[in-house]
Amino acid sequence: MRLSHGFVRGEILSCIYHGWTYAQAGNCLRIPAHPALTPPDTIRVAAQPVEDGGGIIWISVGEPAAGPPRFEGLAPLRSMMVEADVAALEAAAGTKIGEGLLDYTHNARTIRLLLAAEGQARTLMHVLVDEDSNPTERIAASRAAEALRRAAEHISLSGIAR
Amino acid sequence: MTRNAMIDEWYPVGLASQLDAHGRKTALMGEPIEVKRGEDGNAKVTGGNGRTLPACIRYGHVWSSLGDPQKPLFAIPEADQPGRRLVDVGVVRVRCSPLRAVENFLDIAHFPFVHTDILGAEPHTEVQNYKVEIREDEDEVWATQVKFYQPQAAKSAEGGITTEYMYRVPAPTCSILYKTCPPRPGEWDVITLFVQPLAEDLCDVWPWMALFDDDTPMTDLIHFQQTIFLQDRSILENQIPGLLPLDPGMEIPTRADLTSVAYRRWLKRHGYTYGAQLVAQ
Repeated sequence: MRLSHGFVRGEILSCIYHGWTYAQAGNCLRIPAHPALTPPDTIRVAAQPVEDGGGIIWISVGEPAAGPPRFEGLAPLRSMMVEADVAALEAAAGTKIGEGLLDYTHNARTIRLLLAAEGQARTLMHVLVDEDSNPTERIAASRAAEALRRAAEHISLSGIAR
Repeated sequence: MTRNAMIDEWYPVGLASQLDAHGRKTALMGEPIEVKRGEDGNAKVTGGNGRTLPACIRYGHVWSSLGDPQKPLFAIPEADQPGRRLVDVGVVRVRCSPLRAVENFLDIAHFPFVHTDILGAEPHTEVQNYKVEIREDEDEVWATQVKFYQPQAAKSAEGGITTEYMYRVPAPTCSILYKTCPPRPGEWDVITLFVQPLAEDLCDVWPWMALFDDDTPMTDLIHFQQTIFLQDRSILENQIPGLLPLDPGMEIPTRADLTSVAYRRWLKRHGYTYGAQLVAQ
């Protein structure tokens, strides 16, 4: 069971399945089935550095040399999982990633995408918009991102990007 | 490659009450099968190549096997006890190993977190010591003297009680739970989990109950059990790894998990590995 299915209570992360709780350092604090037991220090989950920057949560595997990138003037709109790799998304957008973001122009509007590869053919896509966008523009950006996802997944399935 | 020891076991393949001459297409361990009422009125199960498979009707369900069962379907003596209401809960498709579905059924420590305010609630999270054994004569896994505080143990329960449980695993994908019966102290309600392995990572789960409860409408009894199992499904479909590990690996069992430990040991001893992984990852 992934801890991401669980929940945060105060500064403690709690597993949804059996309620084992973990401190920020990753050590297990409590096993509810055995309340009198002090969990041995060997029960721990890997912890990564995490930072909140510009409305985006960043994690680093290992010790980062610098803080996370900042995208001035942009605000996060939504995140979505795409069943395709980054190459398929680039092919669908007709552009390549530049300065950390993929630009996608759709119906004369450009949305900016922050991509995190999640595996062989799966990408977590974060949609960013100009921070002063109005609700209509935000809805249009959301639709555009969905169109890009469909196109990338189609490319991925048909193998065009290979 | 050794013969799959689970091939000769009985599995549920449908509700007896829904048998008809038209038939129902389903699957058993990767093989397409068809279940229907034959001309003689008995259940008829046909394998992928048209061969007739063993079939019997018991505990509200049709049972079949791809192999050659060496013994009759396990006994549930309570099923024939007068005064019990027999509840066909129906079927829930779950994208998980059939062995994972059984193991989760044997686990009580998750009650306060997955079945919150029904089968468990914080702060009553402690799992007290209980007894687990593999009964050699019956060749079954048993857990007894299992006690747990429950806010609403059954549809017929009003308010919280400490419920006592016994668990039985008489077949690799079937488990029977005996549980304190609120309206009839001294008797046990019977709740079963019959699991039909469709594939190593896909199963149809057929819960079934034999209860002392003359008051609760049948619909409510079914809804109660479906509510519980749908909560389990969201867990089952997200377990990692998908196949049940039979060798020690990344997991850390505690005393609360002794039933699971015995179940895994019993599976491994018999070579019941359909839906299991043997090498720790």
